[in-house]
Amino acid sequence: MNASMNDKKSLYETRRTRIEKTIALKPVDRIPTAFMGMAFAPRYMGMSIADFCEVPENRTEVTLAAMDKLGADVWDGINALPCGRIVPSLTSAWLSHIAAPGRELPADSLWQVQEAEVMKPEEYDVILEQGWPAFLEQYYPRVIDMDELKESRVWVRANLEHVKQRCREHGYVPISFGGTSIPFEYLCGGRSMGRFYIDLYRNKDKVKEVMDLMMPHMILEGIHTAEVSGIPAVWVGGWRSASSLIAPKIWDELVFPYFLELTHALAAEGIVSVLHFDQDWNRDLERFKELPAKMCLLNTDGMTDLRKTKEILGDHMAIMGDVPSNLLSSGTPGDVSNYVRDLIRDVGPTGLILCPGCDAPINAKPENMEAMVAASREFGRTE
Amino acid sequence: MMLEQLAQALADLEEDEVLEIVRKQLEAGTEPLGILQACQQGMTEVGDRFEKKQYFVSDLMMSGEIFKQVGLVLEPHLKSSTRISGGAVVIGTVQGDIHDIGKDIVVNMLKSADLDVTDLGVDVPPAQFVDALRETNASVLCMSGLLTLAFDSMKETIKQVRDAGLRDEVRIMVGGGPVNGLVCEVVGADDWGADAQAAVRLAKNWLEVGAGA
Repeated sequence: MNASMNDKKSLYETRRTRIEKTIALKPVDRIPTAFMGMAFAPRYMGMSIADFCEVPENRTEVTLAAMDKLGADVWDGINALPCGRIVPSLTSAWLSHIAAPGRELPADSLWQVQEAEVMKPEEYDVILEQGWPAFLEQYYPRVIDMDELKESRVWVRANLEHVKQRCREHGYVPISFGGTSIPFEYLCGGRSMGRFYIDLYRNKDKVKEVMDLMMPHMILEGIHTAEVSGIPAVWVGGWRSASSLIAPKIWDELVFPYFLELTHALAAEGIVSVLHFDQDWNRDLERFKELPAKMCLLNTDGMTDLRKTKEILGDHMAIMGDVPSNLLSSGTPGDVSNYVRDLIRDVGPTGLILCPGCDAPINAKPENMEAMVAASREFGRTE
Repeated sequence: MMLEQLAQALADLEEDEVLEIVRKQLEAGTEPLGILQACQQGMTEVGDRFEKKQYFVSDLMMSGEIFKQVGLVLEPHLKSSTRISGGAVVIGTVQGDIHDIGKDIVVNMLKSADLDVTDLGVDVPPAQFVDALRETNASVLCMSGLLTLAFDSMKETIKQVRDAGLRDEVRIMVGGGPVNGLVCEVVGADDWGADAQAAVRLAKNWLEVGAGA
C-alpha cells in the first residue's frame, strides 16, 4: 500500500468515525457533510440521464466524480451507496412503474414515478390469502420487466464490494445501503395515492390487517440488506405517510406504530434507520422520542422545521439535512451560503450532518452546490 | 334542517350518511341545487378545518371523493337547474412534470367552490395553456409542479401567455411541493398557493375583484 492509499484509508476512517459520532450525538471536530444528488451528478458531469440510468457502473463513477469536482476535501460521505441501476431500485420502493429517460421520456430528462392504480382493491384479500412475497411475485411484472429486475439484483450482488471499494478509494463513506419502509408506503405506491387515501377511510380494518401481515417482511428486508452490505444503516423511507398529509387518527394507527416496530427491530440488530422523511413531519415530532435513541438519523427535505426538531429531539436522534431543492435550483450562491451558515448555527454543532434536502435536484445550479460545499468549509468547523 | 345535517355530515366525512341524505332529499322532492349547495357548505367547512390544521391532506381527498359521489347522484337531476358559476379557471401540471395528486386536490376544491374548472391534466405544453385560456375566457390560471424542473415550464408558459396578449386579463398562480415565494417571483407568477385551500381562496378572491385588477 503506497502513501497516497494510506492517506485515503486514514481519511476514510476519520470521516467514518465523524459520521458515527454524529449519529451517536457526540462532539465532532466539524459538521459532516454528505452528498445527495442522484440526478444532479450526471447533469453536472455532462452525462445524459439515460446513460446514467442504463449503465450501473456510470451511476457509481459519475457520482464519485461529481463529488470530487465539487470538493473532495468537504464530503464525508454520501447518503446511500451509489450501487446499481436507479429505475429497478425505485420500482421496488414505490411499487409503481417508473417512466425512464431514453424509453418513455427523452434521453436527458428526469425519471418519474407514474402514478396509477396498479393494485386493485380486491387484492388486499389476495395478499391476505397468499402472503406478501407471493403477491409481489405476481405484482412486479405489472410495473417492471422481470428480466431487468433480476439482472439488476444480480449486478448489485456481484458488484457491491467493488462499489464499496470505489467509495473507500475516494474517501467517501456510504451512510446507508438498501432500503425498506412501512407497509403504508408500499400499498400507497401500488394502489396510487388518490385511491389508497380513500381506502384508509372506507376500508381501514382490512388495510390494517394487510399491513400487519406485511410488516415482518419489511423488517427482514432491512436486516437482510444490512447483512449483505456490511453497512449497519438502512434507508427507511417515509413520504406519503407524512404528518402533514395524514389525519392524526389514521397516522396514529396505520403509520407510526409501524415505524416504531421497524426502527426498534433494526436497532435490536445494531442497524441505524436513516429516516428519509420527505414532506412536513412537524405535528408529530414529539412522538419520535419513542423511536430508538441514537439509532435513527432523521433525513428531511426542507419542509420539516429543523429548529423545532433540534429542540424536541436534540438529545435523542441526529439530523441530516436540509438545503432545500428550490433554493438549490432557484436561489443564489449567497442564499445557499446563508442557509448553511444559519442551519449549522441553529442545529449544530452536534447531531447534524449537512446535506441537500431530499436530493439535490437535476437542475440545481452548479454554483449553488459549490456554494453549499464552500459554506460547509467555512462554517462547518466546530473546534 | 336535513340540509344542515347534510352539510355537517360532509364536513365530518361521513360518506354513507351524506349519500343517504342526498338520496332521501331527492326522493322528497328537494331542489337538487339546494342539495348541492348544502354539500358545498360542507366542503367550505372542510377547507376551514384544513386551514385550522384540524384536517389534513387525506381529509381533503376524502371530502373530494364524497363530493364526487354526490355529484354523480345529482348530475342527472341538475341538468334542468340553473347554476351560476363563480368564474372560470384553467389548471394543469406544467410540461415535463407528470404529477397530478396536488393538482387534482385543487381541482376538486375549486369545483366544490362552484367554479368552472378546465383541467388540462399533466405534462401540459405552454401553448395548450394559452389555447385553453382563449377558449374558456378564464381569468385565472393555476399551474402545478412537483419537480424543480417545472419552474422553467412555468416561466415559459407565463411568457407565452404574455406573448399572446393575455397577461393583463389573467391572474396566474403557481403551486406544488417545491413552490414558494422565491419560485413565484422567479417564474413571474402573481401569487402562489402553499396548499389547496390557499389556492382556492386566491382564485375566489381574484374572481371576486376581477382578474385584471
